[in-house]
Amino acid sequence: MSADPGLTAAAPAAGGLRRSFSWRPRFGHLLALLAAVPMLALLALFIFLVLYAKPAMPIDGWHFLVRDTWNLGNLYADPVTVHGRQMLPGASYGILFLIVGTLASAALAVVFALPLAVLSALLLAELLKGIPAFLVSTLIELLAAVPSVVYGLWGYVFLIPFLDHHLYGFLEHRVGPWLPFFAGPRGSGYGLLTSAIVLAIMVVPLITATLRDGLAATPRELREAGRALGATGFESAWRVVLRGQRTVLFGATILALGRALGETMAVLMVSGNALNYLPHNIYAPISTMAAFIVSQLDSALQDPTGMALRALAEIALVLLVITVAVNLAARLLLQFYGRRK
Amino acid sequence: MKNTLSPSRFLRRTLIGVAAVAALGGAAAAQAAVQIQETGSSLLYPLFNLWVPDFAHTHPGVQISTASTGSGTGLSQSIAGLVQVGASDAYMSGAMMKQHPDMLNIPLAISSQMVNYNLPGLNGRHLKLSGPVLAGIYSGKITNWDDPQIRALNPGVALPNHVIIPVHRTDGSGDTFIFTQYLSFSTPWWNNKYAYGTSISWAPVQGGIGAEGNPGMVDAVKGNPYSVAYIGVSYKAQTEGAHLGEALLKNRAGNFVLPEVKTVKAAAAAMVPKTPADQRISLIYAPGKESYPIINYEYAVVKADQPNGQVAGELKTLLSWAVASTGGNAEKYMRQVNFVPLPANAAHQSLAQIAKIHG
Repeated sequence: MSADPGLTAAAPAAGGLRRSFSWRPRFGHLLALLAAVPMLALLALFIFLVLYAKPAMPIDGWHFLVRDTWNLGNLYADPVTVHGRQMLPGASYGILFLIVGTLASAALAVVFALPLAVLSALLLAELLKGIPAFLVSTLIELLAAVPSVVYGLWGYVFLIPFLDHHLYGFLEHRVGPWLPFFAGPRGSGYGLLTSAIVLAIMVVPLITATLRDGLAATPRELREAGRALGATGFESAWRVVLRGQRTVLFGATILALGRALGETMAVLMVSGNALNYLPHNIYAPISTMAAFIVSQLDSALQDPTGMALRALAEIALVLLVITVAVNLAARLLLQFYGRRK
Repeated sequence: MKNTLSPSRFLRRTLIGVAAVAALGGAAAAQAAVQIQETGSSLLYPLFNLWVPDFAHTHPGVQISTASTGSGTGLSQSIAGLVQVGASDAYMSGAMMKQHPDMLNIPLAISSQMVNYNLPGLNGRHLKLSGPVLAGIYSGKITNWDDPQIRALNPGVALPNHVIIPVHRTDGSGDTFIFTQYLSFSTPWWNNKYAYGTSISWAPVQGGIGAEGNPGMVDAVKGNPYSVAYIGVSYKAQTEGAHLGEALLKNRAGNFVLPEVKTVKAAAAAMVPKTPADQRISLIYAPGKESYPIINYEYAVVKADQPNGQVAGELKTLLSWAVASTGGNAEKYMRQVNFVPLPANAAHQSLAQIAKIHG
């Protein structure tokens, strides 16, 4: 009976405190099993995606990753057989524009978020004391818990017209002549820069909250030592306290990057949903893998060969691999860094 | 281990509990109404929400739930037997029918689509547009409002020298399906290059916008002067509220018409005689002087073989009521969503299909 650990574990709770001793070995097994569940779930998800996406893989091969050729094909034509596989005429799957859109928006978001997050964490940990500090840090933690669709709606209703009217014109005419990527045309407010700004606002609280905890845990003696050497308050905070939290900052940044990579709703609402082209400047519409899966699902369901759904699974697989790789790389870097220290 | 709750006792208690819950559930099920679930098209959703309270009022034995999830979801969930009614703006393709021959595509009403634009100073005028010109705009071949091809259709109109912002749907959509059908049927090169579908591989037009859902289309046109978009007629109140322009479209006979009850009915009347028994037909680009070129049947996609006679019976009652001119096709429902009722002979065909539903 495979459910046995579950049953026996439930029993002591029902029966009171009279025993516990005889349960320990089994309890240990149960814990081990429970601890393995997340890992097994990730593995199962990976295997499922590979198996499910596999029939679609030979259609474009590696071109899936390096071409901008997403096309579900003619949904109302009779399927054709290519290499022994049924698919719709005209169907091809190339998602370079999604990979670029996902990585560019997430990377830009983190670049925008970092200075804000570091400064606000320093402000919270070093300058504010007592009730104001408590209020502001609570507020920031609450911001981290706001569902992303709320940011998306706000971005859609307020931020797009605001940025389009007030910021992008300035950037186009003042920064554009210096940095070609900022040159016009600036489109309609939906696009890479807007997505990155919305994502940045979403991840700032994540980094701030984590870093603030790290800063607050820094021993007082370090600060005092800094001041004793003649450093100003800011110098001591920047050079001594923040420096000690580089690992925390790095970890928090990677977490933020992971969130930005996988963000779906908010990006769907402000990205302009580009199809099959790369952003030619920073205002251009983009599309991300997560948002694209949502927007294409309904049409994919109409593909009688089912190949469109499998191609969407292929996108999910790429997204999974990228996010896991980012997190893994971060861990390895941290370990390497920790050892060197 | 004598202090523990023995496995057998535990098992017995569990079984008693399960039995009790099952008994309660069974009793509840015996009393409960027959459940009919609808999901799919966001254009049919408001209509179902007008229908359901009135139908439920006279049919207390049925409990109907509705959901707006998209036509593709409606089709696939109905095929899978997860819902009884899959609402769809598009009929099932021939290939899908071959795989699922027991599916019925039953028209419930007739919808149409507007082409709207936001041209400062010109929104009060009905500009004339044609399939080939719209194909040019959506493929990036026609990029400016004062392009000779647009000027030729609108002599005397002071068209602005400004880049056109074409807006298309990014989610899978029946509106994209019927709009691209209009382009395909009227413009051979569009058909060869892009064809039609609930989502197509749009050309990367400089400045073009992808929007989510009809509300997103309305917002995008409203917020972007010099844009053009295709919007389901159910959203007419919103496009009028935003003071958007509405185009006269060129029909097959070469006349320019607005989506009005008269022109939509004319197009439907021209197409009904051509409708096959399974009613899977495009009504786009209908012949006739007055016919509006972008109209479509709104479908209930239903499995002929229902799980039991009771569900099949209630489903037939519901759908028969829906297509009746004294029931769901009555003017008071249709007017609210800007749909047009089924012509009598189309309703007759729908009834013949509804009769095939069995338990």
